[in-house]
Amino acid sequence: MILSMAWRNIWRHKARSLVIMVSIALGLFAGIAVLSLYEGMMISRIRTVIDEETGHIQIHHPKFSDENESKYLIDNIENILKKISGIPEIIEINKRILANGMLSTPNGTAGVQTIGIDTNTEFSFSSLKLKIKDGNGFKPNKKYQAIIGKKLAQKMKLEIGSKFVLMFNDTSNNLVSSSYRVASIYQSTNAPLDERIIYVSNYELSDLLGLKGQVHEIGLKLRNDDDVTATTIKLKQLLPQLKIESWKEISPETEFMAKTVDTYSYIIMIIIMIALAFGILNTMHMAIMDRSREIGMIAALGTNKFKIFLLILLETIFLTMGGVPFGIILGLSTTFYFNKHGLDLSGMGEDLMSNFGFKTVIYPEFPLEKLIPLLSIVIITALLSSLLPAIKAINMKPIDALKN
Amino acid sequence: MNDIVIDTHNISRIYNPYTIPVYAIKNVHLHLRRGEFAALVGPSGSGKTTLLNLIGGLDKPDEGQIMINGTDITSLSPSALINFRLNNIGFVFQSFNLIPVLTARENAEFIMLLQGRNKKEREERITQLFKQIGLADKMNRRPSELSGGEQQRVAVARALASKPQFILADEPTANLDSKSASVLLDIMYKLNKEENITFLFSTHDQRVIDRARRVITLVDGQISSDTNIIDTSLPH
Ligand SMILES: Nc1ncnc2c1ncn2[C@@H]1O[C@H](COP(=O)(O)OP(=O)(O)OP(=O)(O)O)[C@@H](O)[C@H]1O
Ligand SMILES: [Mg+2]
Repeated sequence: MILSMAWRNIWRHKARSLVIMVSIALGLFAGIAVLSLYEGMMISRIRTVIDEETGHIQIHHPKFSDENESKYLIDNIENILKKISGIPEIIEINKRILANGMLSTPNGTAGVQTIGIDTNTEFSFSSLKLKIKDGNGFKPNKKYQAIIGKKLAQKMKLEIGSKFVLMFNDTSNNLVSSSYRVASIYQSTNAPLDERIIYVSNYELSDLLGLKGQVHEIGLKLRNDDDVTATTIKLKQLLPQLKIESWKEISPETEFMAKTVDTYSYIIMIIIMIALAFGILNTMHMAIMDRSREIGMIAALGTNKFKIFLLILLETIFLTMGGVPFGIILGLSTTFYFNKHGLDLSGMGEDLMSNFGFKTVIYPEFPLEKLIPLLSIVIITALLSSLLPAIKAINMKPIDALKN
Repeated sequence: MNDIVIDTHNISRIYNPYTIPVYAIKNVHLHLRRGEFAALVGPSGSGKTTLLNLIGGLDKPDEGQIMINGTDITSLSPSALINFRLNNIGFVFQSFNLIPVLTARENAEFIMLLQGRNKKEREERITQLFKQIGLADKMNRRPSELSGGEQQRVAVARALASKPQFILADEPTANLDSKSASVLLDIMYKLNKEENITFLFSTHDQRVIDRARRVITLVDGQISSDTNIIDTSLPH
């Protein structure tokens, strides 16, 4: 009977019940929206890392690291390529020569990472072709050309055709330098990288550094993202003398970002839940105060506190069950819509997004494995916030409630 | 001794004990035997409601003891008191007696469910009670679909459903017209006779007082007179 009383009670004050159901639905919707947005951002970020920055797997000299001098090279390229060619999952191979150097113009100097590339493979491997906003790659039949980032160009006041000098240490630690001309300007979604990385021809860089056919880095693209782990293991067996890393190991900041984003989503979730809790608390409290006479009367008759408590809790549970489906439907359908059509976040500031390496159009995607935790959080919040009104109800003195 | 259901021993209820003490009830000794049909009368503010609340276990006296059928309810724990009320005392209030979302029969059934009575027992008792209060045909109506008098009759049935030691009613007819008040009194009287159930009700209404077989008068929280009336004419 307590059950049917609770059920009928929620129909007594329809507007009030609706408020609670709508708050729960909105809370759930907001939760789904936030999680989907972040998931979409992370997926897009990971795509960017794989498709435009590192590829799936990279091969280096075991002592190689970004800050290292250029002496840690991969020898015997032909032999390695032959071994790799037996792995069917690998669909793209891109070789790079890397050198940390100093760029100087009459306007000043900047530390840069110079990448010597073969445009035949690099243009598609890191989507460099698509990132070029100004110019058309390297001009044919011209030497010492560079493709630089827009951010760097702005900072150093460079434009197409501008001249600058690059200086590096060669393999025997001698200072070498050469002057270059800007052939093209690119812009990626990762502004910090645009400021640091410049592309030149691999042959020229190889000569400058005094290399004999060696490279610093071999990047691999695979048919499927899921093949990464297995292929990494296979390559490690095949090339034990080299360092084989997947994009996760190469780009730990992406992993870190995923964690940061997770933290943010929890913080936002807590804020949403606090708002939800206050809404429910207020409304349930009002409902209890309105019915104080009735609750006092029920208590006077000999209804124990547990049953009165149960009554209030059941009412909240019914309202929660009413709100939850709407929240899920609303949240998932909105996510689905923007997943199809994309959500343009350029309103938040293109710079802000690109400073963190994010694209401005996000395709939100709800991480389904988070549905149950999210539901639990919403339901627990709803129940917890009805706790206070319920406690208020059980502490009502029948004698006060019954006063005329 | 055994048929004394209510025995208040020198009870007092004092409001504002630290500022200007008000004795709402002062040194009251009151005994009610099983089967009595007693009216509690007195001017407004004389302490009728306070006394009924004390006897009903809704309030605690500051002094004295209240024995209900041999149990000292002033020494019961709060939860034991709730349970005691459920099984021993029937309440009829002046208004807001019924749970609005439950039908008349469910209101009566509610209390029996709290007591843990089985379905058969509940059906039998409720059917019989609604016959007795003359509302067998309106059992499934919600309180809002019943007149004030009908609601009070359901409240009486509900109070009886739990088979209490006695029924306390604080001005049960105050919100009723005289016809409905008379019908309610008839029913209370009849149930008093048929079930030998003790009634203690407060009232201002002289016609209601006239129906009582014992009239206890309170003045300033004290019993000023307590008269047994010889039963002359039974209501039809
Ligand atoms: N909570 C309270 N605090 C202080 N004084 C109170 C309180 N409740 C009742 N009183 C006082 O106790 C006295 C008795 O009140 P009570 O309500 O019992 O009278 P009553 O006989 O029921 O009156 P009525 O006929 O108007 O219902 C009154 O003087 C009243 O002012
Ligand atoms: Mg009163």
